[in-house]
Amino acid sequence: MDPILVVALVVSLALFFDFTNGFHDTANAMATPIATGALKPRVAVAIAALMNLVGAFLSTAVAKTISVDLINEGVNLGAEMVFAGLTGAIIWNLTTWFLGLPSSSSHALFGGLIGAAMAYAGVAAVNFPKVVEKVLIPALLAPLIAGIAAWLATRLAYLITARSQEQRKKTGIGTGRSNFKIGQVFSSSLVALSHGTNDAQKTMGVITLVLVSSGFQSSGDHIQLWVILSAAAAIAIGTYSGGWRIIKTMGSGLAEIKPPQGFASETATGVTILASSNLGFALSTTQVASGSVIGSGLGRKGGQVRWSKAGQIVTGWFLTLPAAGLVGAASAYITMMGPFGLLADALVTVAIVAGIFWVSRRNRIGHHNVLSEVEGASEIIASPRQVRAAAGKAAKAAKAAKGNSKSEKNGKGTAK
Amino acid sequence: MINWQSFLLVALASIGFTTLVVSLFSFGMRLLTNSKHALLSAKKGKASAIRSEALNRFGAYGLFALCAFALIYGIYLIVPYFHI
Repeated sequence: MDPILVVALVVSLALFFDFTNGFHDTANAMATPIATGALKPRVAVAIAALMNLVGAFLSTAVAKTISVDLINEGVNLGAEMVFAGLTGAIIWNLTTWFLGLPSSSSHALFGGLIGAAMAYAGVAAVNFPKVVEKVLIPALLAPLIAGIAAWLATRLAYLITARSQEQRKKTGIGTGRSNFKIGQVFSSSLVALSHGTNDAQKTMGVITLVLVSSGFQSSGDHIQLWVILSAAAAIAIGTYSGGWRIIKTMGSGLAEIKPPQGFASETATGVTILASSNLGFALSTTQVASGSVIGSGLGRKGGQVRWSKAGQIVTGWFLTLPAAGLVGAASAYITMMGPFGLLADALVTVAIVAGIFWVSRRNRIGHHNVLSEVEGASEIIASPRQVRAAAGKAAKAAKAAKGNSKSEKNGKGTAK
Repeated sequence: MINWQSFLLVALASIGFTTLVVSLFSFGMRLLTNSKHALLSAKKGKASAIRSEALNRFGAYGLFALCAFALIYGIYLIVPYFHI
């Protein structure tokens, strides 16, 4: 098959992936300011799109991680294998999105590429030390760092603005904490900006990888301007189109996040992602944002972690890379069958994408595919009110159990 | 070889910078409510409170400005284009 045709196919698929990424993650940045009323939905979505666009131009360190570090020097994957890895990532990403499983589009991308490379040229093709350093360790550390930062910042925010109850009653002046909403306008813009720096660059990395492996570019050290421009535009358009989804998420579980917590966690997310992007760590922005939400939930007095829920989400994250790797490898084997294999692979991908869109349209918007994944993480935290409610329920159940031993099932007074 | 120093750098920078920005903003909020308290006592006829109201309010604006400056400076630091 004509190499230019394959490259064009990969570029358009990569941009499509970028678009879905923006589409998918608008809510991560803008759901809180909309829910607290700090921004009107239309304005919030426009700001998010603009910030993603700007963020994409800020750095190319993450793009180089993908175009240079992932695959060992001297191994030429060829455009077909990049294509196979990318289709693996897209298939895994859309399937988990549709099923409502926690997943990371970034890790799906790495998994798909690594899987395809291993299927094509064996284990030695992949530069595992670099994968560990730039993908796996950041995946573990960055959410933790963001969580600690958010926890500390939330504690400080509450401590600094604290007022005694009698003072508030006497003067009728509150703590002013609801004004953190205004701060959230800026902190959520920071999250959108950092999203552009990290996620748009992954697309740039993939496009550069395919340009290098098909001989259109000599080394992956340089990212061409048209690649930066198109990746920036795709993620911005995706972010803007994702707007209708977050309008629907309003009034959901987010009410439990108070403005100071939102401000602290968004600042932590934005700062951590920006610092990591600067050193070329390819993160999952969703995971970092989730770490921050958990940290800020714990930072407020009386917050508790629902560990079983946390375990579920983290397990989903760990599965993403190997699972997408398997899909990427399978798609690589099909592609290796020659031009017909490649065509078959492309058709399967298009069919799956179209099928999922069709089914999700028909089913209207279900709860699971509308909520942002960060909201899933916010469910890990039981707010003070929920903890009190659970304690009250448990006490009632204990009382009832005393009188009547049959009321055992009420004893399971879990929060919600 | 894994470069642990860079992880330490990310950790310190992220935690330090987040707490700095959020603290600045929170202190600004506190001064803003302080000024509301001062306004209340000024209305009750305490003359010195007018000055205190203005001081607190402008202090708050100063802190918000500092907060914005910190963010812009932080972004400036990480954009390679400015450091060629």
